[in-house]
Parts: sequence; structure tokens; C-alpha cells
Amino acid sequence: MSASTMAGSPNRAETRAIKRSPYPGWFFTPAAIIYSVLFLVPTFASLYFSLTRWTLFDSEFIGLENFAQFLREPFLIKGLINTVIYAAVTSGLKVVVGLLLAVMLTSQIVGRGYLRSVIFFPVLVSTVGVGITFTVLMHPTQGMINETLALFGIAGPGWLTDPNLALYSVALVDVWKGVGLATVIYIAGLVAIPQDYYEAARIDGATPWQNFWYVTLPLCRPATSTVITLSFIGGLRTFDLIWAMTKGGPGFASDTIASVIYKQYQAGFYGLSTAGNVVLFILIALLVVPLTMFLNRKQGHE
Amino acid sequence: MKKRTSILGGAAAIAATFVVFVIPFIFIILMAFKDRQQSALRDFSLPTGFHFWENVVEVVKTRNWMMITAFINSSIITVVSVTLLVIFAAMVGYVLARRKTRWNGLIEFLVLAGLMVPPAVVPTIWLLQGLQLFGTLHGMILIEVAYNLPFSIILYRAFVATIPRDLDEAAIIDGARPLDVFFRIVLPLLWPVTVTNIVVQSVGIFNDFTNPLYYLPGNANATVQLTLYNFQSQFSTAYNLLFTNILLITIPPLLVFMFFNRQIVAGMTAGAVKG
Amino acid sequence: MAGLELRQLRKSYGKVEVIKGVDLTIEHGEFVVFVGPSGCGKSTLLRMIAGLEDITGGELVIGDKVVNAVEPRDRGIAMVFQSYALYPHMTVYDNVGFGLKLARTPKEVRDQKIREAARILQMEHLLDRKPSQLSGGQRQRVAIGRAIVRQPEVFLFDEPLSNLDAALRVDMRMEISKLHSELDATMIYVTHDQVEAMTLADKIVVLDGGVVQQVGSPIELYKHPANLFVAGFIGSPKMNFVEVNADKIVGETVHVSGPDVVGVPVALPAGKVHPGDKLTLGVRPHDLVVAPSGAIVGRVGLVERLGNETIVNLELPSGASWLAVLDGDQALKRGESLALDVDPAKALLFDANGLAVAAG
Ligand SMILES: Nc1ncnc2c1ncn2[C@@H]1O[C@H](COP(=O)(O)OP(=O)(O)O)[C@@H](O)[C@H]1O
Ligand SMILES: [Mg+2]
Repeated sequence: MSASTMAGSPNRAETRAIKRSPYPGWFFTPAAIIYSVLFLVPTFASLYFSLTRWTLFDSEFIGLENFAQFLREPFLIKGLINTVIYAAVTSGLKVVVGLLLAVMLTSQIVGRGYLRSVIFFPVLVSTVGVGITFTVLMHPTQGMINETLALFGIAGPGWLTDPNLALYSVALVDVWKGVGLATVIYIAGLVAIPQDYYEAARIDGATPWQNFWYVTLPLCRPATSTVITLSFIGGLRTFDLIWAMTKGGPGFASDTIASVIYKQYQAGFYGLSTAGNVVLFILIALLVVPLTMFLNRKQGHE
Repeated sequence: MKKRTSILGGAAAIAATFVVFVIPFIFIILMAFKDRQQSALRDFSLPTGFHFWENVVEVVKTRNWMMITAFINSSIITVVSVTLLVIFAAMVGYVLARRKTRWNGLIEFLVLAGLMVPPAVVPTIWLLQGLQLFGTLHGMILIEVAYNLPFSIILYRAFVATIPRDLDEAAIIDGARPLDVFFRIVLPLLWPVTVTNIVVQSVGIFNDFTNPLYYLPGNANATVQLTLYNFQSQFSTAYNLLFTNILLITIPPLLVFMFFNRQIVAGMTAGAVKG
Repeated sequence: MAGLELRQLRKSYGKVEVIKGVDLTIEHGEFVVFVGPSGCGKSTLLRMIAGLEDITGGELVIGDKVVNAVEPRDRGIAMVFQSYALYPHMTVYDNVGFGLKLARTPKEVRDQKIREAARILQMEHLLDRKPSQLSGGQRQRVAIGRAIVRQPEVFLFDEPLSNLDAALRVDMRMEISKLHSELDATMIYVTHDQVEAMTLADKIVVLDGGVVQQVGSPIELYKHPANLFVAGFIGSPKMNFVEVNADKIVGETVHVSGPDVVGVPVALPAGKVHPGDKLTLGVRPHDLVVAPSGAIVGRVGLVERLGNETIVNLELPSGASWLAVLDGDQALKRGESLALDVDPAKALLFDANGLAVAAG
């Protein structure tokens, strides 16, 4: 009796020991270190450095001066407005064109495999390569686009040289390159719609247009919100395509915040460049958070 | 009746997409076959001679074989960072999906933030300099890992959730330790999403222009995307070489596209739908 | 030798307690079945024994060691899951041998053990297949084989047959029973199916709401349920109940009456109940017999004539519905009045708290 309690007492202490989880927390460690050091730390540091005049070696605190400059300089304001326009135009077009292409590709149309590949392939191609190619194609006098238009007696515009048009031309190329992704997202959304809905609608005598408007469109809302969110964030952050095609020009006509950040960095205005980063961050937070909330709330009502 | 409209519609769609999506690529190919003089016209004519091979040789030799260096650099960056991404993201996605703790909310928030928040460029450069990693391949690799972790984690977490927990538990009863469970049971079962991850992330990292531009300056460290600026100058651009270059750096994504089309589409849509 | 002892075992998820202090002793070599309605905590209790759930309170002893903080692999247990949980990327051979491989068992020994297990379960021809190429019953065998090769002291089964069709379930039930007698190991088996429990168990543990309701052999539980819950849960069809009061006590017989029955005699030692006590009368459908002067009278409802027996739905005066399983074929008509009687020794009484008024 007493022997068994004696033998039991060390075991009793063992009871207290917490058994290790089979899902060890240290699995987070490598990712956490890399992510924290190279992403989180700079992000938080940017909040401070955006308030300084900064040479990388030393920084002088100047309060909100960098931000004030952002709101004062016309070319910086222009960049801000351009960024929003660019994001809105590209995501809007990707939604419309992507949905139409997806509807087409999920119908009984011939050559679906070919169409799908052709539309999707540009997604995988180097953005800079695409940008350079279209810069050549969009040349006002020697570009293939305007030369082709001229065959029909149309005088093509200066796609990238007209200050009022340059940003939209780049946006158009962005849509050309990115619409394939929107399309496949919509295709995934469309094939997930149960066929019953269409059958029920057919029994109710719906026309194809009513089908689209009352069945397809509401039921692929999750895909729509994905496409909008994804391409809107992407649009706000775009740098490479703009840099490859116009470098923000002509003048500052097609500058966006991302290109301003780069230009200020190149010019050595590190504090101002970092302020640009913070502005972009705030812009994304201000626009994307309400946007996703709006899109998701609507979804909940369905 | 229905059949005929679908054929007519198909023909129209094929023609339209051909003009919009295929002609630019044909243009690239034609340009790569021309000599310098003809390419300067930048029109849609057939090449007058076969100059592709000499263009390739010249592109490769330019600037002291920069193209070769660039391909090596890009390959190293892509292979190493994708390897690290796969392992680290799978580990996070696995524990995140399996273990419910009060940290999960924070981690998920950070993952989503990583997808939305643009990296703060100059502070990152400042930090990399402090760590002696600025302008090095190591630094570039770590940057690619850090920036692409959130997407990979989301892919993995969603997929781990579809693997029955019973399997982990059966393995635990069989005597598996945490690392055994992960590497012998879970990771092999994550293979489909790993392929997706590898494919999507390698294309993205191989095509990355912005980050090497900032964090990896200098010709010795050039990546393929930066070689495109070798043949452009304000006054005389060698268009034949420029387009040969574009063609060359499009080959890897093209191969990936031909072999892994389905995984890419699956991965991009899956990641997108969750994100 | 590995018996088990559960001492005041408790489990909470946050504030919700799902196992509320379970005490239980399991002897080496016993076949113990945990049975209870879905959600009562059977799986949780089993998983606590396996080491897959942390123990919130109390002690768990396997053999002569407290194992609360011992890893599953060191508890000398093996488990068969309801979903079988076969590793999809491994062949049957590797599935069965995985645990041995982890334990660094030499290759030849491993091979021999795997083949031995395959022989016992008659699945030698399946060794090269992947789980996806197996039928449900075959997967079940592999899952059991994986448990056998570990030569555990204690086998744990969590509803292992519930994914099989009825015929296969009977076969596998016999197979598991045979295995138990061959292997000389302790087996703990979870099911919500009381027929499975009755046929397999040496000892049944009835659980409800995280509390042990009764522990005993199948026949003990059938004949002497400790409370209304066990009485209602064990036995098929379900026991009939009706509210009554004790009328008069004559020697070892209590006569009970209520709105539905008048003067039903129940055998009971003197002094257990007193006239006027509020009680519940329980009678198993099989214990009812037709008797023109019977104390239980009702209107015949649905009648199922099976030839060897007849199942009658009886509507009592208060509207309560009883089931009677009568011997042989009885040509009863819907709506006619029927009087039934019960052997006083087989009728059961429960007090106001639902506890059995023990006949012993
Ligand atoms: N991980 C968990 N978190 C919270 N509650 C749980 C968890 N697992 C089980 N439960 C609850 O514990 C109770 C017992 O579950 P379980 O043991 O699975 O029942 P069963 O007897 O059907 O096997 C149920 O009410 C269930 O909802
Ligand atoms: Mg259960």
C-alpha cells in the first residue's frame, strides 16, 4: 500500500508537466523572423522616417513637413490622383471584361482551350517585357497600332505622348496583361454556380439576358469582390508597368505614388520617398478596407 | 441552330483574341528575327533574312555576358527563395490550420496585411545595409521570401484544412514526433498545393522587376528583368536585340505555362479567392 | 500486464466541462465498451486515454504508471479510428509498418511483423495496394493491422464499424471479438450502438452527459439498469415507462397504479417503497404477454406481424404509447382493446429521482 503511494509520488509531479502539443509553435519561427525583420520592422520604421529629412546615415526630425509637401506640390498631388484613377480604371475594366470573357469561356463556344490559354498567358509574361513591347506598338507615328488605324483612315492618338491619355494607355496595357487572371477567377466562380438555378430560371421563362442579370451576376459576387480587391490593391501599388512604359511622363502626367517613391529615392530625398510609402499605405487602408467591407456585407445579404 | 451560333461565335472570338492577344507575341518573334535596320522600322513585316541566331549571340554577349550572369542570378534567387517559401509557409500554414490559439487572429491579420501593405522601400534598404545584405543575392532571396510568404501561407492553410486531422493523430499514436508528422505525413500530402506554390511563386519571382531594382543594384547582380534595359537608349535602340531579349526571358514562363497550366490557374484562383 | 484505472478524470474545453469526473477500473484482458448517445463524451474519454486530448483533472493509470503527461507513443496503446485514418500516400505495407519504422525496428523484423499481421487479418494480397484501391471493409482490416503490429497492451477503437454497411458490420464485429480472444490484450471500444455494445462487451460503461451512468456486464445492465437512462438506452426496442404510485404492499410484492394502469404487481423486497410513493414503472416490450385479465389495458394501434413475433403499438388511456413484442403470430385489429400482463419479477420501478428501486 505504502509502496504504491511511494511509487506514485514522482508520477504525480509528472502529471503537472504539460504535454507538448503535436503542433509546435516554433514552426512559426523561421517565417516569423524573416517576415518581421524584412517587412514589419521597415514598415514601422517608415512611420518614423517619413517625419524626417533623411540621408540614410542621419535623419533630422521635421514633423509633418514631408506630408505637407505631398499636399502642396502639384506633381505629387497629381501622382496621388493618378494612382486612384489607375486603380479604379484597371479594376473596373478587369471586372467587366473578365466577366464577359468568363461567361464566353464557360459557354459551349468552340476553341475554349485555345481561348483560355491565349487570354491567360500574358499573366505569366514579364511585365517589363510587355511594357516595352507596347511602348513600341503605341508609338504615335511608327507604332503598329496607329499604322493600322491609318489604313482605315483614322488618325491614331499619341497613346503615350498625349498627357491626357498616357495614364489610360498604360492602364489599358495593364488590363491586357491582367485580365486573364480575372477571367480564370470568374470561371472558377461561374462553374461553382449550381446548374439548378439556371434550370429554375428556364422554367420561369427567363431570357438569356435575365439569366445573366438575375442569376449569374448575383451568384458570382464572391468572384467579383475578389477580382475588385485584388486588382484594386495591385493597381494602387503598380510601378513596373508605368516605369517600363512612360517613366511617369510625359512630364508628370502618368506618375503614380509608386513611381514618385522611386523618383524621390533616386533623387536622394529619402524622407520624402518614405512619406510617399506611408501615403500609399494610408491610401490603401482608406480605400481597400471599406471596399472589402462593402463587398463582403453585400454578400452577406444575398 | 445552337451549334451554328456557337461555331460562329467561336470563330469571332478566336479572331478577336488572335488580334488582341496573339499578334503582340508574333510581333515580338518577328522582331527577334530581323536585323537591326529592318527592326528599326518597327512594323509587322516578315524578316528579310534569318538573323535570330546572331541576335541571340549578340544579346548573350552584350556587356560582358551579362545575360548569362543574369540568368544565373535569377535562377539562384528563384530556386532558393521558392524552396524556403515552400518549407516555411507550409510549416506556418500547417500549425495555423491545426492549432487554435489566441495568436491565430494576430497571425492571420499579419498575413492579410502582408498582402495589402506596400513594402517601405527606403527603410528596407537602410535595414539591409545595416545587416550587410544590401545588394547581395542573400538579401534579395530573403526579401522575396518575406514578401511572398503571406500568399503561400494562405494557400497552404486552406489546403491543410482539407487533410483530415485523424491522419496526424494516427501518426502520433504510431509514435511519430511533431517533425515526423509534418515531414512524413502532412508535407507529402500537401504535394498538389506545393506544386502550385512552386509554379506560381517561381513565375512571380523570376519576373520580379521592382524589388531587384531597389535592393540589388549593380551589373554584377543583374537579374533577367533588368537586362531589358541594356538595349534601350534614348537615341538608338537596337530593337532586334531588345525583342530577342524579351523573347529569351519569356521562354521560362512559357515552359512553365505549357507544363503546369492547370496548377497555375488553380493556385492563382485559390489564393485569390481566400485573399 | 496492463489494466487501466481512471480516477476522477475530467476534461473541459474552456468553461464547458464535457467529462465530469469519471472513475473506472479496467482489468487486463477485458473487453470494455463505452456506450452512450452521440455527444456524451465517449470519444473524448477514449482520446484522453490515448493521449490525444490533454487531461484537465484527475489521474489516468495504465499498467502501474500515471500517464497523464506521457506521450501517446509511450502509453502502450494502439487506436483504430472511425475514418480508418490510413495514410493515403503509403501502400498498405507501409501503412502497417509506419509505427515500426518510426521505432527504428530492423527491416527483417519489421517485414516479419507486417506479414504476420497481414496473415492474421487475411489481407496478404492487399499489401502492395494504396488505401484508395481498397473497399471499406479492407480499409478497416488495414487499420486494425496497423494497431496489431504495435503489439499494444491496450487497443482503442472509436466507432470502428460505423462506416460499414450492415452485413459487413456483423462480420467485422465477430472478427474483432475473435481478435480479442486471440491477442490477450485489453480492448476499449466506443460505440453509440447498444447492440454492438451488448454483443462485444465483457463490461459496458454507459455514459451520458460526461457522467458514467452504470458499469456492468451486458446482462446485468439489461436486467438491472441502475436508472431510467440506462433502462431506456440498453435493450431494443426501448423499455416502456409510465408514471405510477405505490398502492399497497403485500409481502414482497408492490402493487402500483396510475392513470394508465391499475394494480400492476411488482416483486420487490419489503421496505423499499411505501404506499403513496411516486414511482415510474418500466416494462420491456418483450416481457409483456396477452392476458384477458391483465392490468395494462390499451387500444391497439399499428401492428407489425413478422410471423415469429408480433409488434404492437398500444395506446394507453392517457394517450401514452407503449410497444409490446408478443410471441408468435397474433391477429390483432387496429382499434380493438387489448389487455396485457407482466411477470412481477420482470417489471422495474424507479423512484422520483430516476434511480432504480433495486430488486436485489
Ligand atoms: N475540441 C472541442 N472543443 C469544444 N467542445 C468539444 C470539442 N470536442 C468535443 N467537444 C464537445 O464534447 C462533447 C463530447 O464529444 P465527443 O466525445 O466527441 O462525443 P461522442 O460521445 O459522440 O463521441 C460534445 O458535446 C462536443 O460538442
Ligand atoms: Mg465520437
